[in-house]
Amino acid sequence: MEINKSAPILTVKGLDVSYGNFSAVKQVSFEVKAGEIFGLLGPNGAGKTSSLSAVEGLIIPREGDITVAGFNTKDKPLHARANMGVQLQSTNFQPELHVGEIIRLFAGIHAIEMPREKLSAILDNIKLGDAQNKKFGELSGGQQQRVSLAIAMLHNPQLVILDEPTTGLDPQSRRQLWERMEELRTQGHAILLTTHSMEEAEAVCDRIAIIDHGRVIATDTPQALMDKHKGDAEVIAASRKGKITLEDVFIGLTGKTVRS
Amino acid sequence: MYSLGLPEKRCVHKNKIIMQTVIPTTSKGIASLLRADFTTQWRNRRAVILIVLVPVIILISWKGLIDKIGGAVVLANSITIGLTAIGLMGYANSIARDRDKGIFQRLRVAPVSSWSIMCSRLIVQLAMILIVTLAVFIVGFYYDQISLSPAGYIVAVLTAVAGGALYLSIGQVIVGLIKNPETVNSTCRLVYFVFIMVGMFGEFSNQEQLTKIVRWSPYGVVRHMVASSLHPNTWNMDDSTSLLLAFGYTIVFASIGIKNFKWSSK
Repeated sequence: MEINKSAPILTVKGLDVSYGNFSAVKQVSFEVKAGEIFGLLGPNGAGKTSSLSAVEGLIIPREGDITVAGFNTKDKPLHARANMGVQLQSTNFQPELHVGEIIRLFAGIHAIEMPREKLSAILDNIKLGDAQNKKFGELSGGQQQRVSLAIAMLHNPQLVILDEPTTGLDPQSRRQLWERMEELRTQGHAILLTTHSMEEAEAVCDRIAIIDHGRVIATDTPQALMDKHKGDAEVIAASRKGKITLEDVFIGLTGKTVRS
Repeated sequence: MYSLGLPEKRCVHKNKIIMQTVIPTTSKGIASLLRADFTTQWRNRRAVILIVLVPVIILISWKGLIDKIGGAVVLANSITIGLTAIGLMGYANSIARDRDKGIFQRLRVAPVSSWSIMCSRLIVQLAMILIVTLAVFIVGFYYDQISLSPAGYIVAVLTAVAGGALYLSIGQVIVGLIKNPETVNSTCRLVYFVFIMVGMFGEFSNQEQLTKIVRWSPYGVVRHMVASSLHPNTWNMDDSTSLLLAFGYTIVFASIGIKNFKWSSK
Protein backbone atom coordinates (compact mmCIF):
# COMPACT_ATOMS: atom_id res chain seq x y z
CA MET A 1 0.00 0.00 0.00
CA GLU A 2 1.26 3.46 -0.88
CA ILE A 3 0.81 6.43 1.37
CA ASN A 4 -0.09 9.70 -0.16
CA LYS A 5 0.39 12.40 2.48
CA SER A 6 -2.83 14.14 1.52
CA ALA A 7 -4.83 10.91 1.44
CA PRO A 8 -6.92 10.10 4.50
CA ILE A 9 -5.67 7.24 6.65
CA LEU A 10 -8.94 7.14 8.58
CA THR A 11 -12.29 7.83 6.96
CA VAL A 12 -15.49 7.79 8.98
CA LYS A 13 -18.67 8.25 6.94
CA GLY A 14 -22.22 8.53 8.24
CA LEU A 15 -21.48 6.73 11.50
CA ASP A 16 -24.48 5.81 13.66
CA VAL A 17 -24.05 4.07 17.00
CA SER A 18 -27.02 3.04 19.14
CA TYR A 19 -27.44 1.37 22.50
CA GLY A 20 -30.93 -0.05 22.46
CA ASN A 21 -33.22 2.87 21.68
CA PHE A 22 -30.59 5.46 22.61
CA SER A 23 -28.76 6.92 19.65
CA ALA A 24 -25.26 7.86 20.88
CA VAL A 25 -23.71 8.84 17.54
CA LYS A 26 -25.68 10.28 14.63
CA GLN A 27 -24.29 10.58 11.12
CA VAL A 28 -20.75 11.42 12.24
CA SER A 29 -18.24 11.86 9.42
CA PHE A 30 -14.61 12.93 9.49
CA GLU A 31 -11.21 12.11 8.04
CA VAL A 32 -7.70 11.99 9.45
CA LYS A 33 -4.85 12.40 7.01
CA ALA A 34 -1.27 11.14 7.17
CA GLY A 35 0.92 13.52 9.17
CA GLU A 36 -2.07 15.09 10.88
CA ILE A 37 -3.17 15.29 14.51
CA PHE A 38 -6.95 15.34 14.56
CA GLY A 39 -8.72 16.12 17.82
CA LEU A 40 -12.15 14.81 18.67
CA LEU A 41 -13.58 17.05 21.37
CA GLY A 42 -16.85 17.00 23.21
CA PRO A 43 -18.43 17.10 26.65
CA ASN A 44 -19.06 13.90 28.61
CA GLY A 45 -21.60 11.69 26.89
CA ALA A 46 -21.32 13.60 23.60
CA GLY A 47 -20.43 10.49 21.61
CA LYS A 48 -16.61 10.67 21.50
CA THR A 49 -15.95 7.32 23.13
CA SER A 50 -18.68 5.61 21.10
CA SER A 51 -17.22 7.01 17.87
CA LEU A 52 -13.73 5.94 18.92
CA SER A 53 -14.92 2.49 19.99
CA ALA A 54 -16.52 2.01 16.58
CA VAL A 55 -13.25 2.98 14.87
CA GLU A 56 -11.33 0.59 17.13
CA GLY A 57 -13.77 -2.20 16.34
CA LEU A 58 -14.93 -2.57 19.95
CA ILE A 59 -18.55 -1.89 19.04
CA ILE A 60 -20.47 -2.54 15.85
CA PRO A 61 -22.04 0.62 14.44
CA ARG A 62 -25.65 0.53 13.33
CA GLU A 63 -24.76 2.36 10.15
CA GLY A 64 -21.82 3.98 8.43
CA ASP A 65 -18.47 3.10 6.97
CA ILE A 66 -15.07 3.22 8.64
CA THR A 67 -11.91 2.75 6.62
CA VAL A 68 -8.44 2.49 8.12
CA ALA A 69 -5.50 2.61 5.70
CA GLY A 70 -7.86 1.51 2.95
CA PHE A 71 -9.38 -1.40 4.90
CA ASN A 72 -13.04 -1.32 5.78
CA THR A 73 -13.43 -2.22 9.45
CA LYS A 74 -16.49 -4.39 8.70
CA ASP A 75 -14.98 -6.38 5.85
CA LYS A 76 -11.35 -6.57 7.02
CA PRO A 77 -11.36 -5.95 10.78
CA LEU A 78 -7.99 -7.56 11.45
CA HIS A 79 -6.33 -5.67 8.59
CA ALA A 80 -7.83 -2.42 9.86
CA ARG A 81 -6.65 -3.15 13.41
CA ALA A 82 -3.19 -4.13 12.18
CA ASN A 83 -2.89 -0.59 10.81
CA MET A 84 -3.87 1.15 14.01
CA GLY A 85 -2.10 1.60 17.30
CA VAL A 86 -4.39 2.31 20.20
CA GLN A 87 -3.81 3.83 23.59
CA LEU A 88 -7.01 3.37 25.53
CA GLN A 89 -8.26 5.75 28.20
CA SER A 90 -7.45 3.32 31.00
CA THR A 91 -4.27 1.57 29.99
CA ASN A 92 -4.46 -1.78 31.68
CA PHE A 93 -2.47 -4.88 31.19
CA GLN A 94 -2.35 -8.06 33.27
CA PRO A 95 -0.99 -6.80 36.61
CA GLU A 96 1.05 -9.98 37.10
CA LEU A 97 3.10 -9.37 33.95
CA HIS A 98 6.35 -7.42 33.80
CA VAL A 99 6.74 -4.53 31.38
CA GLY A 100 9.05 -6.60 29.15
CA GLU A 101 6.54 -9.45 29.06
CA ILE A 102 3.70 -7.10 28.12
CA ILE A 103 5.76 -5.68 25.26
CA ARG A 104 6.61 -9.21 24.11
CA LEU A 105 2.91 -10.17 24.24
CA PHE A 106 1.86 -7.34 21.95
CA ALA A 107 4.88 -7.80 19.71
CA GLY A 108 3.83 -11.45 19.28
CA ILE A 109 0.25 -10.48 18.50
CA HIS A 110 1.57 -8.15 15.79
CA ALA A 111 3.97 -10.82 14.48
CA ILE A 112 7.03 -8.77 15.41
CA GLU A 113 10.22 -10.50 16.49
CA MET A 114 11.34 -9.12 19.82
CA PRO A 115 14.87 -10.20 20.70
CA ARG A 116 16.35 -8.99 23.97
CA GLU A 117 18.36 -6.17 22.33
CA LYS A 118 15.33 -4.77 20.56
CA LEU A 119 13.28 -4.83 23.75
CA SER A 120 16.06 -3.03 25.62
CA ALA A 121 16.29 -0.45 22.83
CA ILE A 122 12.54 0.23 23.02
CA LEU A 123 12.68 0.64 26.79
CA ASP A 124 15.82 2.80 26.61
CA ASN A 125 14.07 4.90 24.03
CA ILE A 126 11.27 5.75 26.43
CA LYS A 127 13.79 6.21 29.28
CA LEU A 128 12.63 3.09 31.08
CA GLY A 129 15.67 0.94 30.51
CA ASP A 130 15.51 -0.42 34.05
CA ALA A 131 11.78 -1.16 34.01
CA GLN A 132 11.85 -4.38 32.01
CA ASN A 133 11.27 -6.53 35.09
CA LYS A 134 8.92 -4.15 36.86
CA LYS A 135 5.21 -4.76 36.92
CA PHE A 136 3.13 -2.24 34.97
CA GLY A 137 1.29 -1.19 38.15
CA GLU A 138 4.60 -0.26 39.80
CA LEU A 139 5.24 2.51 37.23
CA SER A 140 4.15 6.13 37.67
CA GLY A 141 1.29 7.50 35.57
CA GLY A 142 3.69 9.15 33.11
CA GLN A 143 5.80 6.00 32.81
CA GLN A 144 2.67 3.91 32.20
CA GLN A 145 1.61 6.26 29.42
CA ARG A 146 5.07 5.99 27.84
CA VAL A 147 4.95 2.20 27.92
CA SER A 148 1.40 2.21 26.62
CA LEU A 149 2.32 4.50 23.72
CA ALA A 150 5.42 2.43 22.94
CA ILE A 151 3.18 -0.67 22.75
CA ALA A 152 0.70 1.16 20.54
CA MET A 153 3.60 2.07 18.22
CA LEU A 154 5.32 -1.35 18.21
CA HIS A 155 4.02 -2.22 14.74
CA ASN A 156 4.53 1.25 13.32
CA PRO A 157 0.82 1.78 12.58
CA GLN A 158 -0.42 4.32 10.08
CA LEU A 159 -3.19 5.43 12.43
CA VAL A 160 -2.55 6.17 16.10
CA ILE A 161 -5.55 6.54 18.39
CA LEU A 162 -4.94 8.29 21.69
CA ASP A 163 -7.92 8.37 24.03
CA GLU A 164 -7.37 11.11 26.62
CA PRO A 165 -3.68 10.23 26.92
CA THR A 166 -2.66 13.08 29.21
CA THR A 167 -5.39 12.68 31.83
CA GLY A 168 -3.79 12.65 35.27
CA LEU A 169 -0.29 13.50 34.03
CA ASP A 170 1.87 16.24 35.52
CA PRO A 171 2.81 19.17 33.23
CA GLN A 172 6.27 17.70 32.47
CA SER A 173 4.88 14.33 31.40
CA ARG A 174 2.14 16.02 29.41
CA ARG A 175 4.63 18.19 27.52
CA GLN A 176 6.77 15.13 26.86
CA LEU A 177 3.76 13.32 25.40
CA TRP A 178 2.91 16.31 23.20
CA GLU A 179 6.46 16.25 21.85
CA ARG A 180 6.09 12.53 21.08
CA MET A 181 2.82 13.16 19.27
CA GLU A 182 4.51 15.83 17.19
CA GLU A 183 7.35 13.44 16.37
CA LEU A 184 4.82 10.85 15.21
CA ARG A 185 3.13 13.47 13.05
CA THR A 186 6.50 14.34 11.49
CA GLN A 187 7.04 10.64 10.75
CA GLY A 188 3.78 10.64 8.78
CA HIS A 189 1.44 8.91 11.21
CA ALA A 190 -2.17 10.00 11.36
CA ILE A 191 -3.19 10.69 14.95
CA LEU A 192 -6.73 10.71 16.28
CA LEU A 193 -6.78 12.29 19.72
CA THR A 194 -9.57 12.76 22.21
CA THR A 195 -9.05 15.14 25.07
CA HIS A 196 -10.94 17.29 27.53
CA SER A 197 -8.04 19.75 27.59
CA MET A 198 -8.66 22.61 25.19
CA GLU A 199 -5.10 23.77 25.87
CA GLU A 200 -3.87 20.42 24.57
CA ALA A 201 -6.13 20.54 21.53
CA GLU A 202 -4.97 24.04 20.72
CA ALA A 203 -1.32 23.14 21.25
CA VAL A 204 -1.05 19.96 19.21
CA CYS A 205 -4.06 19.45 16.94
CA ASP A 206 -3.96 20.44 13.30
CA ARG A 207 -7.72 20.10 13.02
CA ILE A 208 -10.46 19.39 15.50
CA ALA A 209 -14.05 18.22 15.40
CA ILE A 210 -16.41 19.23 18.17
CA ILE A 211 -19.02 16.60 18.80
CA ASP A 212 -22.15 17.12 20.90
CA HIS A 213 -25.32 15.08 21.37
CA GLY A 214 -23.88 12.53 18.96
CA ARG A 215 -23.33 14.94 16.08
CA VAL A 216 -20.28 16.79 14.78
CA ILE A 217 -21.17 20.46 15.19
CA ALA A 218 -17.89 22.00 13.97
CA THR A 219 -14.73 20.86 12.18
CA ASP A 220 -11.75 23.05 11.39
CA THR A 221 -8.33 24.12 12.60
CA PRO A 222 -8.31 25.49 16.16
CA GLN A 223 -7.42 28.97 14.90
CA ALA A 224 -10.11 28.94 12.19
CA LEU A 225 -12.72 27.86 14.75
CA MET A 226 -11.72 30.70 17.05
CA ASP A 227 -11.79 33.20 14.18
CA LYS A 228 -15.13 31.93 12.94
CA HIS A 229 -16.91 31.97 16.29
CA LYS A 230 -15.23 34.89 18.10
CA GLY A 231 -18.25 37.08 17.43
CA ASP A 232 -20.88 34.58 18.65
CA ALA A 233 -22.78 35.87 21.67
CA GLU A 234 -22.43 32.53 23.49
CA VAL A 235 -18.68 32.49 22.89
CA ILE A 236 -18.22 36.05 24.12
CA ALA A 237 -20.34 35.21 27.17
CA ALA A 238 -18.12 32.21 27.86
CA SER A 239 -14.92 34.24 27.60
CA ARG A 240 -13.24 34.83 30.95
CA LYS A 241 -10.16 36.84 30.11
CA GLY A 242 -11.26 39.07 27.29
CA LYS A 243 -9.29 37.06 24.71
CA ILE A 244 -11.26 34.31 22.94
CA THR A 245 -9.76 30.88 23.49
CA LEU A 246 -10.64 27.48 22.05
CA GLU A 247 -12.28 26.64 25.37
CA ASP A 248 -14.56 29.67 25.01
CA VAL A 249 -15.56 28.47 21.54
CA PHE A 250 -16.13 24.96 22.89
CA ILE A 251 -18.30 26.23 25.76
CA GLY A 252 -20.11 28.59 23.40
CA LEU A 253 -20.93 25.78 21.00
CA THR A 254 -21.75 23.03 23.48
CA GLY A 255 -23.27 25.11 26.30
CA LYS A 256 -22.37 25.71 29.94
CA THR A 257 -24.46 22.88 31.35
CA VAL A 258 -22.39 20.24 33.13
CA ARG A 259 -22.95 16.81 31.58
CA SER A 260 -23.08 13.70 33.68
CA MET B 1 11.95 7.44 17.62
CA TYR B 2 9.16 4.85 17.88
CA SER B 3 9.82 3.11 14.61
CA LEU B 4 12.67 1.20 16.23
CA GLY B 5 13.38 -2.03 14.47
CA LEU B 6 10.43 -1.82 12.17
CA PRO B 7 11.88 -0.88 8.80
CA GLU B 8 10.55 -4.12 7.39
CA LYS B 9 7.05 -2.65 7.40
CA ARG B 10 7.78 0.76 6.01
CA CYS B 11 10.12 1.54 3.13
CA VAL B 12 10.45 4.34 0.61
CA HIS B 13 9.99 3.66 -3.08
CA LYS B 14 10.07 6.45 -5.69
CA ASN B 15 9.59 9.05 -2.93
CA LYS B 16 6.45 7.32 -1.69
CA ILE B 17 6.17 5.50 1.59
CA ILE B 18 5.19 1.89 1.00
CA MET B 19 3.28 0.17 3.79
CA GLN B 20 2.59 -3.50 4.17
CA THR B 21 -0.13 -4.83 6.41
CA VAL B 22 1.18 -7.66 8.52
CA ILE B 23 -1.50 -9.93 9.98
CA PRO B 24 -0.06 -12.44 12.42
CA THR B 25 -1.04 -16.05 11.96
CA THR B 26 -3.61 -17.37 14.42
CA SER B 27 -1.06 -19.78 15.88
CA LYS B 28 1.43 -16.96 16.55
CA GLY B 29 -1.27 -14.83 18.15
CA ILE B 30 -2.44 -17.68 20.38
CA ALA B 31 1.15 -18.60 21.25
CA SER B 32 1.79 -15.06 22.50
CA LEU B 33 -1.46 -15.00 24.44
CA LEU B 34 -0.72 -18.41 25.94
CA ARG B 35 2.73 -17.33 27.09
CA ALA B 36 1.21 -14.32 28.84
CA ASP B 37 -1.73 -16.26 30.31
CA PHE B 38 0.47 -19.08 31.63
CA THR B 39 2.86 -16.52 33.14
CA THR B 40 -0.10 -14.81 34.80
CA GLN B 41 -1.30 -18.16 36.15
CA TRP B 42 2.20 -19.00 37.39
CA ARG B 43 2.46 -15.67 39.21
CA ASN B 44 -0.87 -16.48 40.87
CA ARG B 45 0.68 -19.57 42.45
CA ARG B 46 -1.14 -19.09 45.74
CA ALA B 47 -4.53 -19.38 44.04
CA VAL B 48 -3.31 -22.38 42.03
CA ILE B 49 -2.04 -24.10 45.18
CA LEU B 50 -5.38 -23.52 46.91
CA ILE B 51 -7.28 -25.02 43.97
CA VAL B 52 -5.05 -28.11 44.09
CA LEU B 53 -4.91 -28.27 47.88
CA VAL B 54 -8.65 -28.48 48.59
CA PRO B 55 -9.27 -31.76 46.67
CA VAL B 56 -6.03 -33.20 48.06
CA ILE B 57 -7.10 -32.39 51.64
CA ILE B 58 -10.49 -34.00 51.00
CA LEU B 59 -8.77 -37.05 49.59
CA ILE B 60 -6.51 -37.36 52.63
CA SER B 61 -9.28 -36.71 55.15
CA TRP B 62 -11.59 -39.24 53.50
CA LYS B 63 -9.08 -42.06 53.77
CA GLY B 64 -11.25 -43.75 56.37
CA LEU B 65 -14.22 -43.81 53.96
CA ILE B 66 -12.43 -45.77 51.25
CA ASP B 67 -13.50 -49.13 52.66
CA LYS B 68 -17.08 -47.91 53.07
CA ILE B 69 -17.82 -46.07 49.79
CA GLY B 70 -14.94 -47.20 47.63
CA GLY B 71 -11.73 -45.59 46.41
CA ALA B 72 -13.29 -44.59 43.09
CA VAL B 73 -15.98 -42.49 44.79
CA VAL B 74 -13.41 -40.80 47.03
CA LEU B 75 -11.16 -40.01 44.05
CA ALA B 76 -14.11 -38.84 41.96
CA ASN B 77 -15.37 -36.55 44.73
CA SER B 78 -11.95 -34.99 45.16
CA ILE B 79 -11.53 -34.45 41.42
CA THR B 80 -15.03 -32.98 41.11
CA ILE B 81 -14.37 -30.51 43.93
CA GLY B 82 -11.13 -29.48 42.17
CA LEU B 83 -12.95 -29.04 38.85
CA THR B 84 -15.62 -26.93 40.52
CA ALA B 85 -12.95 -24.68 42.03
CA ILE B 86 -11.28 -24.23 38.62
CA GLY B 87 -14.49 -23.25 36.86
CA LEU B 88 -15.93 -21.07 39.58
CA MET B 89 -13.06 -19.69 41.62
CA GLY B 90 -10.33 -19.61 38.97
CA TYR B 91 -11.84 -19.01 35.53
CA ALA B 92 -14.88 -16.88 36.36
CA ASN B 93 -13.02 -14.58 38.75
CA SER B 94 -10.07 -14.03 36.42
CA ILE B 95 -12.37 -13.23 33.50
CA ALA B 96 -14.42 -10.82 35.64
CA ARG B 97 -11.28 -9.07 36.91
CA ASP B 98 -9.64 -8.71 33.49
CA ARG B 99 -12.86 -7.49 31.94
CA ASP B 100 -13.26 -4.88 34.65
CA LYS B 101 -9.66 -3.69 34.24
CA GLY B 102 -10.09 -3.28 30.48
CA ILE B 103 -7.46 -5.93 29.69
CA PHE B 104 -9.71 -7.62 27.13
CA GLN B 105 -10.50 -4.34 25.40
CA ARG B 106 -6.79 -3.60 25.05
CA LEU B 107 -6.27 -7.02 23.45
CA ARG B 108 -9.32 -6.67 21.23
CA VAL B 109 -7.98 -3.52 19.54
CA ALA B 110 -4.98 -5.59 18.39
CA PRO B 111 -5.21 -7.81 15.29
CA VAL B 112 -6.22 -10.89 17.22
CA SER B 113 -9.65 -12.48 17.10
CA SER B 114 -11.84 -12.52 20.19
CA TRP B 115 -12.05 -16.31 20.08
CA SER B 116 -8.23 -16.53 20.22
CA ILE B 117 -8.27 -14.52 23.46
CA MET B 118 -10.84 -16.88 25.00
CA CYS B 119 -9.18 -19.98 23.55
CA SER B 120 -5.93 -19.07 25.30
CA ARG B 121 -7.76 -18.61 28.62
CA LEU B 122 -9.49 -21.98 28.23
CA ILE B 123 -6.23 -23.78 27.41
CA VAL B 124 -4.78 -22.50 30.70
CA GLN B 125 -7.84 -23.85 32.52
CA LEU B 126 -7.44 -27.16 30.70
CA ALA B 127 -3.90 -27.35 32.05
CA MET B 128 -5.29 -26.67 35.53
CA ILE B 129 -7.81 -29.51 35.10
CA LEU B 130 -4.95 -31.86 34.23
CA ILE B 131 -2.84 -30.66 37.18
CA VAL B 132 -5.68 -31.16 39.68
CA THR B 133 -6.57 -34.59 38.26
CA LEU B 134 -2.95 -35.77 38.29
CA ALA B 135 -2.41 -34.38 41.82
CA VAL B 136 -5.43 -36.36 43.06
CA PHE B 137 -4.22 -39.51 41.29
CA ILE B 138 -0.72 -39.17 42.76
CA VAL B 139 -1.88 -38.49 46.33
CA GLY B 140 -4.52 -41.22 45.99
CA PHE B 141 -1.89 -43.69 44.90
CA TYR B 142 0.79 -42.88 47.47
CA TYR B 143 -1.33 -41.91 50.49
CA ASP B 144 -4.57 -43.87 50.07
CA GLN B 145 -3.05 -46.74 48.05
CA ILE B 146 -5.76 -46.36 45.38
CA SER B 147 -4.40 -47.81 42.17
CA LEU B 148 -6.21 -48.03 38.84
CA SER B 149 -5.60 -49.69 35.51
CA PRO B 150 -3.83 -47.56 32.86
CA ALA B 151 -7.14 -47.44 30.94
CA GLY B 152 -8.83 -46.20 34.12
CA TYR B 153 -6.38 -43.32 34.46
CA ILE B 154 -6.74 -42.35 30.80
CA VAL B 155 -10.55 -42.48 30.71
CA ALA B 156 -10.73 -40.65 34.05
CA VAL B 157 -8.58 -37.81 32.66
CA LEU B 158 -10.91 -37.55 29.66
CA THR B 159 -14.05 -37.46 31.80
CA ALA B 160 -12.36 -34.94 34.11
CA VAL B 161 -11.84 -32.70 31.07
CA ALA B 162 -15.51 -33.13 30.15
CA GLY B 163 -16.52 -32.35 33.73
CA GLY B 164 -14.14 -29.39 33.84
CA ALA B 165 -15.80 -28.03 30.70
CA LEU B 166 -19.16 -28.18 32.48
CA TYR B 167 -17.90 -26.13 35.44
CA LEU B 168 -16.14 -23.66 33.11
CA SER B 169 -19.49 -23.18 31.36
CA ILE B 170 -21.13 -22.50 34.73
CA GLY B 171 -18.38 -19.92 35.37
CA GLN B 172 -19.16 -18.49 31.93
CA VAL B 173 -22.85 -18.14 32.83
CA ILE B 174 -21.92 -16.22 35.97
CA VAL B 175 -19.59 -13.77 34.13
CA GLY B 176 -22.13 -13.57 31.32
CA LEU B 177 -24.99 -12.55 33.57
CA ILE B 178 -23.07 -10.51 36.16
CA LYS B 179 -20.74 -7.64 35.27
CA ASN B 180 -19.47 -6.48 38.65
CA PRO B 181 -16.33 -8.48 39.58
CA GLU B 182 -17.10 -8.42 43.30
CA THR B 183 -20.60 -9.75 42.69
CA VAL B 184 -19.11 -12.41 40.42
CA ASN B 185 -16.69 -13.36 43.20
CA SER B 186 -19.37 -13.64 45.87
CA THR B 187 -21.73 -15.54 43.55
CA CYS B 188 -18.96 -17.99 42.66
CA ARG B 189 -18.15 -18.54 46.35
CA LEU B 190 -21.81 -19.15 47.11
CA VAL B 191 -22.27 -21.61 44.24
CA TYR B 192 -18.99 -23.34 45.17
CA PHE B 193 -20.14 -23.69 48.78
CA VAL B 194 -23.52 -25.08 47.67
CA PHE B 195 -21.77 -27.55 45.35
CA ILE B 196 -19.50 -28.74 48.15
CA MET B 197 -22.23 -29.08 50.76
CA VAL B 198 -25.08 -30.44 48.65
CA GLY B 199 -22.84 -32.33 46.25
CA MET B 200 -20.68 -34.06 48.80
CA PHE B 201 -23.25 -34.81 51.44
CA GLY B 202 -26.59 -34.61 49.60
CA GLU B 203 -26.07 -37.84 47.72
CA PHE B 204 -25.62 -39.74 50.93
CA SER B 205 -28.73 -38.28 52.58
CA ASN B 206 -31.72 -40.41 53.53
CA GLN B 207 -34.17 -38.32 51.55
CA GLU B 208 -34.75 -40.04 48.21
CA GLN B 209 -35.90 -36.88 46.41
CA LEU B 210 -32.78 -34.94 47.45
CA THR B 211 -30.54 -37.83 46.50
CA LYS B 212 -32.08 -37.93 43.01
CA ILE B 213 -31.73 -34.19 42.49
CA VAL B 214 -28.10 -34.28 43.57
CA ARG B 215 -27.39 -37.36 41.46
CA TRP B 216 -28.51 -35.62 38.25
CA SER B 217 -27.24 -32.16 39.18
CA PRO B 218 -24.10 -30.76 37.48
CA TYR B 219 -22.14 -31.93 40.53
CA GLY B 220 -23.67 -35.41 40.58
CA VAL B 221 -23.27 -36.22 36.89
CA VAL B 222 -19.60 -35.22 36.90
CA ARG B 223 -18.82 -37.07 40.12
CA HIS B 224 -20.67 -40.13 38.82
CA MET B 225 -19.04 -40.25 35.40
CA VAL B 226 -15.56 -39.61 36.83
CA ALA B 227 -16.10 -42.39 39.40
CA SER B 228 -17.28 -44.81 36.71
CA SER B 229 -14.46 -43.89 34.36
CA LEU B 230 -11.93 -44.99 36.97
CA HIS B 231 -13.09 -48.54 36.23
CA PRO B 232 -13.96 -48.32 32.53
CA ASN B 233 -14.84 -52.03 32.25
CA THR B 234 -17.89 -51.42 34.48
CA TRP B 235 -19.13 -48.44 32.40
CA ASN B 236 -22.91 -48.82 31.81
CA MET B 237 -25.94 -47.02 30.39
CA ASP B 238 -26.36 -44.95 33.52
CA ASP B 239 -22.81 -43.64 33.11
CA SER B 240 -23.40 -42.83 29.44
CA THR B 241 -26.51 -40.88 30.47
CA SER B 242 -24.36 -38.95 32.95
CA LEU B 243 -21.83 -38.16 30.21
CA LEU B 244 -24.56 -37.03 27.80
CA LEU B 245 -26.19 -34.93 30.48
CA ALA B 246 -22.82 -33.33 31.27
CA PHE B 247 -22.47 -32.40 27.59
CA GLY B 248 -26.04 -31.10 27.59
CA TYR B 249 -25.43 -28.95 30.67
CA THR B 250 -22.21 -27.64 29.13
CA ILE B 251 -23.90 -26.66 25.87
CA VAL B 252 -26.81 -24.94 27.64
CA PHE B 253 -24.63 -23.06 30.16
CA ALA B 254 -21.99 -22.13 27.57
CA SER B 255 -24.68 -20.84 25.19
CA ILE B 256 -26.27 -18.67 27.88
CA GLY B 257 -22.85 -17.50 29.12
CA ILE B 258 -21.47 -16.65 25.69
CA LYS B 259 -24.69 -15.02 24.47
CA ASN B 260 -24.85 -12.69 27.46
CA PHE B 261 -21.12 -12.07 27.79
CA LYS B 262 -19.90 -8.49 27.41
CA TRP B 263 -16.22 -7.76 26.88
CA SER B 264 -16.42 -4.60 28.93
CA SER B 265 -17.98 -4.15 32.35
CA LYS B 266 -18.59 -0.44 31.69
